[in-house]
Amino acid sequence: MNFDNDINNNIQFLAKSEIRLKILSELYTQPNTVRGIVDLTKITYSSVSSNISKLEKNNYLKKIKNNYHVTSIAEVYFKTLMDFKNSANLIDEYSAFWNKHNLKQLSLDSMRTITDLKDSELIETTPLDIYKTHNIIKDQLIESTNMKAIFPYLHPDYPGIIETILGNDGYVEIIIPKLISKELISNIDPVLKKNSIKENKLKIYSVQKDLELYLTICENNMSLGLFKNDGSFDQNRILISDNPHSKNWAETLFEHVKKQVI
Amino acid sequence: MTTQQTKNELNKEFKNMKCILTSSMRTKLLLSTYEGPQNLEDLRKKLKKPSATILHGLKELENINLIRKIQKNYELTSNGYLLTTNMIKLIENWYSINKCEEFWNNHDLNDIPERILKEIYLLKNSKYIHSTTSNLSNAFNTYINYISNSTNLKIILPIYSENHFKHIIQILDNNNLTRLELMVNEEIINSIDKNEIFKEKILNNNKVEIICIKKKLKIFLTYSEEFMSLTLFFKDGHYDDSQILIAEDANAIKWSSNLYKHILEENND
Repeated sequence: MNFDNDINNNIQFLAKSEIRLKILSELYTQPNTVRGIVDLTKITYSSVSSNISKLEKNNYLKKIKNNYHVTSIAEVYFKTLMDFKNSANLIDEYSAFWNKHNLKQLSLDSMRTITDLKDSELIETTPLDIYKTHNIIKDQLIESTNMKAIFPYLHPDYPGIIETILGNDGYVEIIIPKLISKELISNIDPVLKKNSIKENKLKIYSVQKDLELYLTICENNMSLGLFKNDGSFDQNRILISDNPHSKNWAETLFEHVKKQVI
Repeated sequence: MTTQQTKNELNKEFKNMKCILTSSMRTKLLLSTYEGPQNLEDLRKKLKKPSATILHGLKELENINLIRKIQKNYELTSNGYLLTTNMIKLIENWYSINKCEEFWNNHDLNDIPERILKEIYLLKNSKYIHSTTSNLSNAFNTYINYISNSTNLKIILPIYSENHFKHIIQILDNNNLTRLELMVNEEIINSIDKNEIFKEKILNNNKVEIICIKKKLKIFLTYSEEFMSLTLFFKDGHYDDSQILIAEDANAIKWSSNLYKHILEENND
């Protein structure tokens, strides 16, 4: 870990002042004058002016004619810092989802790119709708023609969903514990199953190793569920998203888990 | 005074980030517990601070649910682990930038997609080589040395340089290089096409795959299974042949491959 005082001081110089960060974010979008920044941000002239001087002194800004420009290096500092800010906000926003849950099966890369889950929606069951999470996923799956999933448990609806997707000439790839795979497989129409496997449209990986997360990926969306630290699956919360970045994030995680358990 | 509304909005946006990064103690406590559960004695030895200061920091982190105490040990919660993983990424990003500060600061980075810039930590083991007045071709020679020992290269080439082409042809002729993927724009392809030798040895070579891109990129990226290198343009639009970033580790090669794929996808969109 290369955490020396220089880095610490540099990070703190920016992180300590929202005003400096706001100025950088405006100038990064478009070079501007002190007056221009005041008008854009509604921060006082004296505050903008003194913080711009500090930023310039620390080589974050360069004055060309009357306009201040963000230096290349400041641009990278700023982007990486905003990336961290976004990850901190995302962790906080979905705190109930991560907190007291098992993250062991998330890869380091998945954690580092957690901001790809931005714009996701945390779905929680309510006393009036205790199957909300399941029903939302079911609706997503039933409308798709392409599904990859990690099912750590078997729901009686799954064989039917798989049959529907395969019946629509779709593609299904599932990772499922060995203990329940027999039951899943025996409940899919035998002819459809046989033909789909033959045509490479159905892949079922039944695995011995523990599956510690729930994941579905369809052509337009994804969903993620976690186990609680006490070992039980949390049926009351899922994170869903139709953002392409989240979908790619889920695809990468799926491949990571596949490699890990097969 | 800044208007209260602006202040509130800014506070809200940056609250979570500031809470961690503005205190060296909190940052260091998270980094220490990332290695595994620690008791107070461990933390005191590591951080060389009095118990009261450490306990105060731990309490603050417990209050925001990043650390929890299990018997005598302090450990990261799930939220804490996730956040610290990202904090380490930030620190390593800054370390990578600082290590080659001159390189990053002197050049136009606009064509490196934000996604890839945010993964600059993958370049933390790279070295920065520049030409000097006594050795004007240092960067170029280093580059040629690296490509001469490669069997499989992918290059994003934003310049037409006879010097580069001559060496590439040489290694293709020597049969060292068995496959070359060359990403170039149309203008460069046309220039290569006008030179009979280059045309025959590069464009019509079955070991070479030419990928024509629409954009005039300002990135010169090369990578193989063994190394990666990057040269860039000055902000005034001129190519800088005097400074090169080189790395041989898997992470840097992964960074290059991500950049290459990203540009390829962007081009296909």
